[in-house]
Amino acid sequence: MATVQVSEAEKVYILHGIRDDLRVDGRGCEDYRHMEIETDVVSNTDGSAKVTLGHTAVLVGVKAEIGKPRPTVPAEGYLEFFVDCSANATPEFEGRGGEELGTKLSNTLYKVFNNKRSIDLKSLCICAGEHCWVLYVDVLLLQCDGNLYDAISVAIKAALFNTKIPKVHISSDEEGGKEIELSDDPYDCMRLNIENVPCIVTLCKVGHRHVVDATLQEKACSVASLIISVTHKGTITCMRKVGGGSLDPESIFEMTEAGKRVGKALHAPLMKLLEQEESLGKKRQKVGFLG
Amino acid sequence: MLKSKTFVKKTRSGGVMKVVREHYLRDDIWCGSEVCTECKQESTVLQKDACMESSLCSYPHYLVPDTNVVLHQIDILEDPVICNVIILQTVLQEVRHRSAPVYKRLKDIIHEKEKRFYTFTNEHHRDTFIEREPGESANDRNDRAIRVAVKWYSQHLKTFESDTDGLKVVLLTNDQGNKQKAQDNGLLVYKCEEYVKSLIANPELVDRLALSSDDKNEITSSKVLFPEHLPLSRIQTGIKSSSFLQGTFRASRDNYLEATVFVQGEGEDGTEVLIQGLQNLNRAVHQDVVAVQLLPRSEWVAPSSVVLQDEGTAKDDEDAEEEEGKLRTAAAEAARKPTGKVVGIIKRNWRPFCGMLNVSQIKESTRHLFTPADRRIPRIRIETRQASTLSGQRIMVAIDGWPKDSRYPNGHFVRSLGGAGEKDTEEEVLLLEHDVPHQAFSQAVLSFLPKMPWAITPEDMMKREDLRPLTVCSVDPPGCTDIDDALHCRELENGNLEVGVHIADVSHFIRPGNALDKEAANRGTTVYLCGKRIDMVPELLSSNLCSLRSNVDRLAFSCIWEINHKAEILKTRFTKSVINSKASLTYAEAQMRIDDTNKNDDITKNLRGLNKLAKILKRQRIEKGALTLSSLEVRFHMDSETHDPIDLQTKELMETNSMVEEFMLLANISVAQKIYDEFSECALLRKHPAPPPSNYDILIKAAKSKEVEIHTDSAKALADSLDAAKVDGFPYFNTLLRILATRCMMQAVYFCSGMDSDFHHYGLASPIYTHFTSPIRRYADIIVHRLLAVAIGADTTYPDLMDKHKQSALCNNLNYRHKMSQYAQRASVAFHTQLFFKSRGILNEEGFVLFVRKNAIIVLIPKFGLEGTVFFDSKDKVSPNIVFEEEGPTLSVEQHKFHIFDKVKVTISLDDSNIQHQKIRMALIEPVIPGVSVPPPDTERPAKKQKLDR
Repeated sequence: MATVQVSEAEKVYILHGIRDDLRVDGRGCEDYRHMEIETDVVSNTDGSAKVTLGHTAVLVGVKAEIGKPRPTVPAEGYLEFFVDCSANATPEFEGRGGEELGTKLSNTLYKVFNNKRSIDLKSLCICAGEHCWVLYVDVLLLQCDGNLYDAISVAIKAALFNTKIPKVHISSDEEGGKEIELSDDPYDCMRLNIENVPCIVTLCKVGHRHVVDATLQEKACSVASLIISVTHKGTITCMRKVGGGSLDPESIFEMTEAGKRVGKALHAPLMKLLEQEESLGKKRQKVGFLG
Repeated sequence: MLKSKTFVKKTRSGGVMKVVREHYLRDDIWCGSEVCTECKQESTVLQKDACMESSLCSYPHYLVPDTNVVLHQIDILEDPVICNVIILQTVLQEVRHRSAPVYKRLKDIIHEKEKRFYTFTNEHHRDTFIEREPGESANDRNDRAIRVAVKWYSQHLKTFESDTDGLKVVLLTNDQGNKQKAQDNGLLVYKCEEYVKSLIANPELVDRLALSSDDKNEITSSKVLFPEHLPLSRIQTGIKSSSFLQGTFRASRDNYLEATVFVQGEGEDGTEVLIQGLQNLNRAVHQDVVAVQLLPRSEWVAPSSVVLQDEGTAKDDEDAEEEEGKLRTAAAEAARKPTGKVVGIIKRNWRPFCGMLNVSQIKESTRHLFTPADRRIPRIRIETRQASTLSGQRIMVAIDGWPKDSRYPNGHFVRSLGGAGEKDTEEEVLLLEHDVPHQAFSQAVLSFLPKMPWAITPEDMMKREDLRPLTVCSVDPPGCTDIDDALHCRELENGNLEVGVHIADVSHFIRPGNALDKEAANRGTTVYLCGKRIDMVPELLSSNLCSLRSNVDRLAFSCIWEINHKAEILKTRFTKSVINSKASLTYAEAQMRIDDTNKNDDITKNLRGLNKLAKILKRQRIEKGALTLSSLEVRFHMDSETHDPIDLQTKELMETNSMVEEFMLLANISVAQKIYDEFSECALLRKHPAPPPSNYDILIKAAKSKEVEIHTDSAKALADSLDAAKVDGFPYFNTLLRILATRCMMQAVYFCSGMDSDFHHYGLASPIYTHFTSPIRRYADIIVHRLLAVAIGADTTYPDLMDKHKQSALCNNLNYRHKMSQYAQRASVAFHTQLFFKSRGILNEEGFVLFVRKNAIIVLIPKFGLEGTVFFDSKDKVSPNIVFEEEGPTLSVEQHKFHIFDKVKVTISLDDSNIQHQKIRMALIEPVIPGVSVPPPDTERPAKKQKLDR
């Protein structure tokens, strides 16, 4: 991941600031940077969203394809994740530089999103044991400025909200041969219920306190952070610790409490925003990548 | 402005794919109207005073047909009366999607300048493009797009109203819903029928209206005659699960209640499924692609040998049921064949059919039945008000549909071809029925012709070898104007001979991919009828620029050999050249020069040299096992004024015929080898497969009856035994045997070398062969020219030439066209023979028995090259005692026994009781069999009878 060099004096400055709940850019410890969301930005996907958080920018596309269900869960569809760390984001990703980070990120995403408590995987089933929808979630990192997990999770939630899966129905003849039939109307499609899709909140332990949405400088001052996925009800569905340092149980408790609070507060405006954008329909002027 | 079009489609593997296409909108699409001053168009199509006199629209107007009007009423649109029509892109795309033939016809109309059809690309126009709304079907969206475009046009033209006499745009649609919506939008809209009926000057157009579905409702009887066809999706799943079979429907010529469906199996072989009975045939028409379901084995039947023709006028099912009963004859288990029923139609293959009208007995009725000339096509019910004028004429009718409650398909009148039995009409009919494209060349095609006056440019000269000083001459049949080959022969300094075959360089004029090339590829071959030629390429090329006429400079593709006096080829080379033929001779003229010892000019020496070599070549070829077969070809002497045949003679072959032929064969073989060496995957070659041994059964049996042995193990053995076959006192025997042998042969076909492994040409005993020498009249030769030109670096290649699948598809078309042109030629000869005998009355002639059938003998009259059948059982007479023996084969009639090759005497007359199917009738005079043979006719009669002037 992108790193910055921070001098001792800077570190002290940041640490002291955070102690007083005043961060370098003027935020409090539980404040996010400015976030922008736009959905339906890539026309050849079934659902897409672009999220910028500070200078971090991620693009998520969801493609629905028909596949075979996993044998253990024949009546459910599933999700596949792929994170592409483009060298656009930072020169470190050049060549195969981003691969490791990509795998790390996508492993976390599997844990967080690919379960039936987040998404109703049954609704992705077309024909038990034979056909189901597989949602390929492709994440493209456009720019790294800290806090990738949170930005990606918000973008995935927005993209899943935007996803339109063409409606199909199964016709069968006398011999039991089954045929998938497609609706002729491109507007005839299925939407996903994303109510329970969690968002990730990353909390960075800086000094004795913790902050959300750490910038790269703040990250450099931190030894460990906690990644928590929180649903709109405030339930924690997944938790991971990253970073080399250690966390004592007490601060873990504090951090999870803060994560719950922040996560819950993140969901409500996000949903409101997405619905507002949807209601504009085709009349909405698209911003895209050049806006 | 950029929009994107999104749709989902199913992939072949069963997945679902979202496809996004970019769609650009423009603001520089002009309206095409003469009156418009706003659009910056360079040329306009639509006229200012667009007058079609209609009682509904008294003002000038442009027509905008919707998709269904174009699809169903293309016959109307083709009429010269209809002009100033705007074809919207939406309509054009939909038509293209739904019917390729209609699309082609529509494109042809659009290209025709006089018709003034304008294509408006409304889908790319900024103001007329619309996006599909949620909940809107694709069809509704297209209808809306059409309405929006019409609205745009009417507002656009309104601004110039003062200059025009209220020029308006009229939408034609047959869809009630669409019409209503258009009216609500304030557009001028009519149903197609309403509009056509309102045309004041042209009431006959009404007949050409296709019956739309609304009309059909009127004649609905409660009775449903046929089972419903299954929807395409059901058929497809059925075929996938192999509960249905897909195949081509082939109706029986003799029995209208019977048909077979040819199911293409793996590779070459296929199976046939028998279909019997109206219900099972289920409205399939000859050549349709259908889905059939096999019946349980217990219901399988044998093909009936009964001849049944649909005779009733407008009868419905009762009689049919009765006739179907006749079919149910108990058949031996072994004779039963897989039997099935048609469950659905995958693709209709309807074309306009030629035939005649059976006028309804009810005088006022406008509904009549139409009987097609092709017996395999069912009768068609049409509606016309001109029945009285059309009776006795050959007409063309198109099928519109076949509802399940109607005994016959519904159709509409397309055009009249002229009086039945007239020469021009019958010629037209036989061209149409044999699917020979014979329309005049379109403007698009003609535009690719070189501009006249044409001359060889210095650039052409640079690239070509100048062979003008050579004494080149051509030898062809008399009256030939499309000379595609010329020859020369000269002695070289080393004593060897140089022989050149110069072939018209057609590929210089016909460049790949243009309209001219496509048209020629489609036509495939020039069709020669008696006294008429249907050109493959426009006349300017065929009879002038490409034709290697004497004393003019012409471009040629030359194949030049160095040959020693033993006719061994020492060197072969190919070059593009310029030649100047010194003489265009006929076979007879050339023969005379060779024989005339007083003549010693260059040309004659040339010819003698060629002739000498040709004889050696021929001998060598025959030694290798080439077959000399025989078929009788006749030539008609035509009356110069009436063009009726006045005399008929079988063609004579001269030495010079064979001289030209030898060198053509040599050139073809040399070229075949060259292009195959160069392009082993995509050389266009011609093969002649060896016939299966069973084909020769009849030949061996027939020869045996005269105690002659025929060996058929190899071509060489066959050729030798044919040469040896002679019977004393029967000089014609050998020719007859060769005629029989010809019938045993397989068809020679074009193929692409990359798609086949067997190249052998059986008849010519050559391991490889192609066609190179007649590019003016055969398209295959043009392709071979192109390949050869690429091989010697004289021309550039293009992708399709090197694509073996495209090449193979082309071969299929060429083979089909070639076969059809032969049929057409035969039909033309048959028709002229009939004309000839019509004016001759009854003749009696000597002939030979060529085949023996169960109830008839087939007699060949050598004098006319005519074959006819003498039946021994007829409907109205008591049949004589007939015994047929398979071994032999012989046929005993009363006391007399007929063998193959027996000499008989017959009377020949024309049977014109059925005007659509006139035929030559033969009756036996000698040997005299009481009760069977007829007395010899009064020979005085024909002499008195003058030729009929019609």
